[in-house]
Amino acid sequence: MSETITPDRKSILANIRIQRFTPGQHKSAFYDNFKVSVETGMTVLETLRLIKNTQDSSLTFRAFCRSKICGSCAVRVNGKPVLACSTQLMPILEDFKKESVTIQPLRNMPVLRDLVVDIDPVIEKLSKMHPYLMENRDRIPESLEQESLMSRQELSRFDYITDCILCGSCYSACSAASADPKYAGPLTLAKAYRFSADVRDDFKGERMQAAVDQGLWSCAQCRKCINVCPKDTRPAVSIQRMRKMSIDDGIHDTPGSRRAKAYTEDVAKYGQVNKPMLPVIVNGPKGWAAIEAADNYLRKHGIEPERQVCLLDGQNSAEQIYDKVKEIESKGENKI
Amino acid sequence: MMTYDILIVGSGGAGLYAALESRMEEELQVGVLTKVYPTRSHTGAAQGGVNAALANLDETDTWQDHWFDTVKGSDYLADQDAVEIMTREAPMVVREMEHWGCPFSRTDEGKIAQRPFGGASKPRACYSADKVGHVMLHTLYEQGIRHGVNFFNEWLALSLLHDGKRCQGVTALNIQTGRVHTIRAKAVILATGGHGRIYWTRTSNALGNTGDGTAMAYRAGLPIKDMEFIQFHPTGLRRTGILVSEGARGEGGYLLNGLGERFMSRYAPEKMELGPRDLVSRSCETEVREGRGGPDGEVFLDLTHLGADRIKERLPQIRELCIEFEGVDPINEPIPIKPTAHYSMGGIHTDLNGQTPIEGIYAAGEAGCVSVHGANRLGGNSLLDILVFGKRTGRHALEFARNNDLVPLGMDQEKADEAMIAAMMAGTSGDSVADIRRAMGELMAEKVGVYRNAKDLESAVDTLAELQERLGRVRVQDKNRAFNTELVSALEMKNMLDLAEVVTVGALARQESRGAHTREDHPERNDQAWLAHTLATRGGDGKPKLEFNPVTITQFEPQARTY
Amino acid sequence: MSDKIRYGFYSGCCFQGADARFYEILQDVFAKIDVELELIQDAVCCGSGVIEERSELTSLAVNAKNMAHAEKMGLPLYTPCSTCFNVISNAQKRMRENPALHAQVNEILAEQGLEYKGTCKITHTLWVIAQDVGLEKLKERVTNPLSGLRVASYYGCHTRNPADIQGFESADNPTSLEDILRVLGVQIVEYETQEDCCGYHLAWPNNQLNMQMTANVLEGAHKKDVDLMVTSCPLCFKSMDGSQAKALAQTGKNFQLPVLFLPELVGLACGMSPDEMKLQFHGVPVSLRL
Repeated sequence: MSETITPDRKSILANIRIQRFTPGQHKSAFYDNFKVSVETGMTVLETLRLIKNTQDSSLTFRAFCRSKICGSCAVRVNGKPVLACSTQLMPILEDFKKESVTIQPLRNMPVLRDLVVDIDPVIEKLSKMHPYLMENRDRIPESLEQESLMSRQELSRFDYITDCILCGSCYSACSAASADPKYAGPLTLAKAYRFSADVRDDFKGERMQAAVDQGLWSCAQCRKCINVCPKDTRPAVSIQRMRKMSIDDGIHDTPGSRRAKAYTEDVAKYGQVNKPMLPVIVNGPKGWAAIEAADNYLRKHGIEPERQVCLLDGQNSAEQIYDKVKEIESKGENKI
Repeated sequence: MMTYDILIVGSGGAGLYAALESRMEEELQVGVLTKVYPTRSHTGAAQGGVNAALANLDETDTWQDHWFDTVKGSDYLADQDAVEIMTREAPMVVREMEHWGCPFSRTDEGKIAQRPFGGASKPRACYSADKVGHVMLHTLYEQGIRHGVNFFNEWLALSLLHDGKRCQGVTALNIQTGRVHTIRAKAVILATGGHGRIYWTRTSNALGNTGDGTAMAYRAGLPIKDMEFIQFHPTGLRRTGILVSEGARGEGGYLLNGLGERFMSRYAPEKMELGPRDLVSRSCETEVREGRGGPDGEVFLDLTHLGADRIKERLPQIRELCIEFEGVDPINEPIPIKPTAHYSMGGIHTDLNGQTPIEGIYAAGEAGCVSVHGANRLGGNSLLDILVFGKRTGRHALEFARNNDLVPLGMDQEKADEAMIAAMMAGTSGDSVADIRRAMGELMAEKVGVYRNAKDLESAVDTLAELQERLGRVRVQDKNRAFNTELVSALEMKNMLDLAEVVTVGALARQESRGAHTREDHPERNDQAWLAHTLATRGGDGKPKLEFNPVTITQFEPQARTY
Repeated sequence: MSDKIRYGFYSGCCFQGADARFYEILQDVFAKIDVELELIQDAVCCGSGVIEERSELTSLAVNAKNMAHAEKMGLPLYTPCSTCFNVISNAQKRMRENPALHAQVNEILAEQGLEYKGTCKITHTLWVIAQDVGLEKLKERVTNPLSGLRVASYYGCHTRNPADIQGFESADNPTSLEDILRVLGVQIVEYETQEDCCGYHLAWPNNQLNMQMTANVLEGAHKKDVDLMVTSCPLCFKSMDGSQAKALAQTGKNFQLPVLFLPELVGLACGMSPDEMKLQFHGVPVSLRL
């Protein structure tokens, strides 16, 4: 027996608050409010288009594929970078328990107009990262009569990053990029890793140096980029892996690589990190200033500074674990 | 004035491949002009695969099998010499993509993975999970950066310049500044993609698939070919037309009408939901026409009986897509769907090297028509088309630019385009581009859609003329020239209306049903009268003039198309 | 007295050595709301995400060890440190997604007679108070409501990102910190930089950037004329309080913004004195109109 289908479709009269700005016309950004009847199924992009078509044709935003693959339409909704095309509005209104939602352009890039930002600075940073495969002739035949072979495991080292659509959401969410305009940002470093991790590539050294020079160690690992990426490409994870690769490739002379070494060795030996000495371990003799400042502060409060690893009850070395992991890794049996 | 040896309009797979091919060998100046950013291009939306008889999965596969499958799929309207080139060169271009780093999925032995596809006799669609177009597009862009291709991002080409024999260049609008420029070039390659947006909301295509290059060529007096053939996909989401792939039906999904009936039992009692694309599209359309659709003129793709576990395990991406784009979780309720315009088989008439009748002007990819898809394109052949003919066209343009000089410019088209824009900004009517666009989309879906007949087509021709007139008076209300997306929409609208007219006139002329073109009043294929390409040129009165060219048949005599 | 809620306490490096006072404060404040902590013995540093830069498997194994101990105690693993919470939760998630990896890690632990079953619940201060203790009980224990205080709330990053390690609240719009603060009686002030990262983990590899990031967050709050900032993350507290003078000097800013670690404010609202909360240890003097 068939039954008539009656879909459950709601509608809410919502206030859509949109940041506006046209250079040369406005002194600074301001907000316009639009009343829109938001229906079940309506995306942020549909809402923007409805406003443009029926209320204000000068509202300016980018959009192209409408299906989460081109990366044009990234904006911030209630502060979070999202793709307008794949973001349902009704659940956001419900999550924030409000009948108003705020739409702003991405951060960390200059606004060209309303919700449109200039992504060229990011593309330039990307271009400096040598973001392309340089043929490794041990793996890639000269002739087009043959393909190069690559195992699934080799592919899996970087395949997850190839989902990146260069939408700029991670760059917008990155506080390090806000604080340091020279910092390359998550997507560019992730792309650098994508190629460096490809066994068909033969360009690791120069690209690695480009990554180090453009801030490989300036990522704070806050992991917001993982949260906002609409394609789940986990840029912060790629940055960790690129760091490992740079150390494996012999770039030891960086504060970051010294920190990695210190953490790894201390935890193996003591189960804890020697925090009091970290400034000197990481930065060499100039780290003493920080240690002295910390010492003075502690003495002021009647605490005698330590130079040793501080341990709580029962804390021990993690050497056994390290040995076992080394054994597994040396056999290439790592299941990561 | 900017001057290039080769200027490529459009930055999808065809344009970027052409750019790389023409840039590889010598220091010619190659520019790529795109109204978006290269990686935004619609090539990225292709999910399933790119066909090449690599025989990685079935070692008996040959390019000749691929050749035959494509000709048959085209309902014998494809030119067989063109298809021969495409299928023979397919393995080379796919391997070249792979050598450039394209992350294809892999077989157990580490070769490029292949999967079966509709209309293909062997599993030959090379894939990368469900994102092969995306990774191909990015690979081409990456190599473009490496090889120093110049990109004009967010520029909209306006007019094609030639002196009747030779290419001169283009005019284009810099969207960011709002200024019109002339760009001279020895060779111009039009690679602007399809025009599915003439169906406006009833299409799976990107918002910008407005046939800009095809319309420019048409206005510049070049012939455009087989425009009446538009492929419809049966299961587009109700609100957006975004595709729900065939996987959902393959996994056991039911098609239900508004009354909850499994209506395919009326049309294909044996194959049911797994009938061919065109038949399923027609069946959905019939249900709605006869009053058995849902509240919004939709039918439903029901997966609920599969259960949450199976949906989560086997169809996670389809589920995500329904939740994100339609706000519907297919675990709990049926997915509302409508047939959606998917691919434009027709385009700018070219020879086997992508050259048009004007020397130095080329077209490739969905904007062009060689023709390899005939009346119906097979899945996995659109990406192949852009690779093979992007490359060939790039190579030919390179030879041409190497051996020829610039020709002098004639009339001041920049001024004429500037005047046209000024007129649009100062228009008198209260009509908006959005209103005209919506009217066009509804008209095309209703009267020039899945089903066509003389009466509807004739009335559509009249209505399109009215819409042209309305557009002539339209007023762009946004007065700021910088990043004026309303102006861009108005310019695209002009392109779409010109092409919609050619599609409709061609559909009216072709009194048969072939491939994607279904005439209710002429339900059979008629090889005697209509085994021919439709060539449309713009007449002195601004109306399309049609001519018909024979189809090239070299190997396979037309037979009935049955599966 | 009602029953106590008990947790396996994973201290992380912020609650020992020079920072041992925080452990005492935490225990005292938790006693007020019937929470008892039992130290997880034989715990190892979570590696702070840094060990991954040498070996991801090592990081997973040491954190599986930490969780295995909590499982043995039959208690949820509570850590007051947001980074520990993040790293341990991430280890849990990755092993949940990849059973082969989970099995491999257990092979590593087997030599120490340990097994990580995957049942361990991981939680942090906000959820202990807002969810387990509950706002009702907290309200009962507030004897000194801090009404009139304008407070900038600051979650920091590692209890929120990525969203899929989250537990009970919306990752895009968490409310537990504000819910708690409201019960304490303060007025919550929104500010532009509240979602930004303080950069604590750059303290040694790129101190200058750390200071800039910290200064950016502080300035956003300062612009809204708040009385103080409250954070639930001890590392953010170190940036915001301990490094404040340096961060503001480096970036040419001239103000002072008192910063409290959330348990301190809870203690004050529950009638404990500034001395008991050891506020004199703060880098930026705290003089509240209490």
